[in-house]
Amino acid sequence: MKLYIVIVLAFLVFVGQQVHATEDVVKFDSTKQEETYRELLLELRCPKCQNQNIADSNAVVAKDMRQKTLELVKQGQKKEEVIDYMVNRYGQFAHYKPPVNIATSMLWLLPAVFIVFAIVMLRRRSLKSNAQNQTSVASETLDADLEQLLDSNSPENKEQNGDKGA
Amino acid sequence: MIPELGNFALFIAFGFSLLLAVFPFIGLRQNDVRLMQLAPNLTIGLFVFTLIAFLSLVYAFLTDDFTVLNVAQNSNSALPTQYKFAASFGSHEGSFLLWLLMQSGWAFAVAIWSKTLPADMRTRILMVIGWICVGFYAYIITVSNPFERTLPYFPVDGRDLNPLLQDIGMIIHPPLLYMGYVGLSITFSFAIAALLNGNLDSTWAKWSRPWTAAAWGFLTLGITIGSWWAYAELGWGGWWFWDPVENASFMPWLVATALLHSLSVSEKRNAFKSWTVFLAIATFSLSLLGTFLVRSGVIVSVHAFATDPARGVFILILLALVTGGSLLLYGLRASSIKSVGRFSMFSREGMLWGNNILLVAATIIVLMGTLLPLVHKEIGLGTISIGEPFFNQMFSFLIVPFALILGIAPLIRWKQDKLNKFVKMPAFIIVVCMILAFVWLKAEFADVKVLAFSGTALFIWIVLYTTIELQQTLKKVSFNKLPLSHFAMVFGHIGLAFIIAGVGLTSQYSTQRDVKMFEGDSAVLEDYQFAFNKIRRLDGPNYEGWAADMSIYKDAELEANLLAEKRFYPVQRNTMTEAAISDGFFRDLYVSLGEKLPDGAWAMRIYVKPYVRWIWLGGIIVSLSGALILFDRRYRRSSSVA
Amino acid sequence: MTKKLSVSILPLIVFILLLGFLLKGLFSDPRERDSALINKPMPEFSLPDLMDESIKHTAQSLTQSPVLINVWGTWCTTCKYELPFLTKLSEEYGVKIVGIYYDQNHAPEFGQYADIPAIRVEVKEMLQRLGNPYQYNILDLDRTLSLNLGVTGAPETFLIDADGTIRVHHMGDVNERVWRDKLAPVWNEMN
Repeated sequence: MKLYIVIVLAFLVFVGQQVHATEDVVKFDSTKQEETYRELLLELRCPKCQNQNIADSNAVVAKDMRQKTLELVKQGQKKEEVIDYMVNRYGQFAHYKPPVNIATSMLWLLPAVFIVFAIVMLRRRSLKSNAQNQTSVASETLDADLEQLLDSNSPENKEQNGDKGA
Repeated sequence: MIPELGNFALFIAFGFSLLLAVFPFIGLRQNDVRLMQLAPNLTIGLFVFTLIAFLSLVYAFLTDDFTVLNVAQNSNSALPTQYKFAASFGSHEGSFLLWLLMQSGWAFAVAIWSKTLPADMRTRILMVIGWICVGFYAYIITVSNPFERTLPYFPVDGRDLNPLLQDIGMIIHPPLLYMGYVGLSITFSFAIAALLNGNLDSTWAKWSRPWTAAAWGFLTLGITIGSWWAYAELGWGGWWFWDPVENASFMPWLVATALLHSLSVSEKRNAFKSWTVFLAIATFSLSLLGTFLVRSGVIVSVHAFATDPARGVFILILLALVTGGSLLLYGLRASSIKSVGRFSMFSREGMLWGNNILLVAATIIVLMGTLLPLVHKEIGLGTISIGEPFFNQMFSFLIVPFALILGIAPLIRWKQDKLNKFVKMPAFIIVVCMILAFVWLKAEFADVKVLAFSGTALFIWIVLYTTIELQQTLKKVSFNKLPLSHFAMVFGHIGLAFIIAGVGLTSQYSTQRDVKMFEGDSAVLEDYQFAFNKIRRLDGPNYEGWAADMSIYKDAELEANLLAEKRFYPVQRNTMTEAAISDGFFRDLYVSLGEKLPDGAWAMRIYVKPYVRWIWLGGIIVSLSGALILFDRRYRRSSSVA
Repeated sequence: MTKKLSVSILPLIVFILLLGFLLKGLFSDPRERDSALINKPMPEFSLPDLMDESIKHTAQSLTQSPVLINVWGTWCTTCKYELPFLTKLSEEYGVKIVGIYYDQNHAPEFGQYADIPAIRVEVKEMLQRLGNPYQYNILDLDRTLSLNLGVTGAPETFLIDADGTIRVHHMGDVNERVWRDKLAPVWNEMN
């Protein structure tokens, strides 16, 4: 009988070891929830630190914000809702994406305008040369030309290359 | 005694920079050859005395001379020797001296390796460098002197180097970066010299190119090492944060890449000339802007040095004079620069124009993203933050047209090419890429994520096209006759492809778990089992703490044995996490030790990061391409002609 | 010719503009953050008094008349310099001051609990030594009220008017200059 009990206990201990799974410090109801949580931790800024998101910071306020974010995400709130919650308390400073207003629209407008402007300039320059002789020049030929020029370092070649400013 | 010598050497170097700024100038005006010929010798003097100053500072650190304020603030007798060396350039003053060492070093290189340049050109370039140096040496001597003393009361021991900096990364990352930043001043000086002279022929572009390539290569390597170092050292597995100081290094890199490509057009086809000059000015200006941002206290960053308004104003004045002066000169002289090369939109020139447009657009985005919070606040609209999510989003858009153009450009001919080359083959290849990318991701990860798909498809696109181009070229030119610059292009493009793939894959498929484990426990993540064997006490040279002995298994086979550490540095009272990393070509396994919990368990974070090494592998390959450009025979041959 | 000149002089103009902003930036604090609480109502709460947990304070009980709320803690070095001045404000100028005690250690999820009796002793000792401006102190152990007020540390100060609206949120210590320039005008207007 005693042996039987010992065996059962030993078995339970053995099984218990196998079954003892490592606990996650933070648990989620779904992968979508976990994804939202992780994205939020990267998008919210610690209001007190030297440019860190709340994921990486050890500051007390960052810990509190993480805690609250977890709470809100588990309640089922969407990413935008959680961000609004934090912005209502810590200001736009706490969000790593800027609000959209006239000044911040420059962030998108300026590069876009530049790209459009540059493409227009390219067209202009290429249209100007339509009238001229359009023989395509292969790159290897060009390299060979350059080599020839280097081989002879004579004044005539310098003149050919020359484009002196005013 | 030695610190005094160092300080004195700095003064002498300053004197040399003054002479270098003045005498060649007079010589050029009066066409006095003797005065012009002084330039190289003055440059040698500048370098030698700066080197003496730098070595004196290093000596003070290595001998624990705490009468020197800089040593007392940044070092400690228990600090390992290699970090004492690194601490000499770890502070604001010390790093500025390193900057000057690089500046005088590059100038020295120009002085000895430019014998084929026309004398007046060489004189002019060195003179411009002299002008830059006058301001910088004045700065270091007056408001930022590393040789300041703590006498008469000096501390028994120093405040120690920030533990975060006690790593091999600190020894190589700043010097490499500075070589890059400062090296760009050479191309800048070439451009200014050419603007002053009025001579911007294609030979100017030819001479500038190797200097640009060298500086760019260093900068690429410096940024790559910085990213790797942050990943290995900071403990949470990130490799780029879009921190203002990182952006300050990325902006000159973007523009320098554009410059490198633009120079080839100016050199070969006599086009883009005015634009190339502008880029040369912009690159070094961005280096200076970066220096200003890091040292002035204008932005918030973990990288920023402790600040002082006087220093900020001084550097701003330097920036204003150098950049303002050069942009003024450009504004006045640019209209007289004529590019004669003609080309159509569908040509190699057009492709390189596209490359330049996108790189400059990217620079504008980074510049605005970094500075807009400041501007937004100053115009009274309130405090905002612009960070990772914004930059990641913008760059994930921009990279697509950039990589697409990059792939086909090497196959496009100069001046004009057939339109269908832009349509038929690309359409076919893009479908192949998309299929291959889809199959790859589906097979490896089951879940196909958009950004990873984009990254891998672009990777395959670049690899395929580069191979096609090489194959086509090798049909016409034998392998031995291929110029090194061609290989440089191949390396540069393939390297970038690896970076794009690495970024796409690791950002989308990295997984992590926050777990609490007792000794003997194990946690599962992806196909890996992370076993926590035991916890050990740590006793280092200037730190103490705990180390978690971990073993990682895959399918019951041992993948790695790691030690994840938590270190406490008593002098600075700083706790640091030394993450344990098992690196591999296809994946990194990363363990970060957290806090000891009240019940005796340890909090840990475990990560599986696929393909993260591809990012730095790519970066190294790209920086190698810079070296290859340098050794191209057209540069070597010309030096033997003289 | 002139068109090309105007295009090529453009970078210089943009640069000069940039210099202006950078210069301004040198003299402002980059870590300064706007408060999101201005003209918003005092958040709801129900928290115990620091010294006697049977007394519960709410937003109602707090905002019957204009009040200065000061977030502080005994661990906070700057607060020590602030206490004498706040005491002067309450004694000489009759400013109603209520304190919110901000504790950094309380973190139940990590198994760390604040030692309330110890805090009470420390607080008593400190207020005796440096002056007591507080009508009473609210114990915000979980820091929930602090989160709702957008507080990131101590000291921070709020001015609430008789309607319960937050009028000023000052981050940093209150001293003669801050009172005179930022707080006094609003306080006088609220009364």
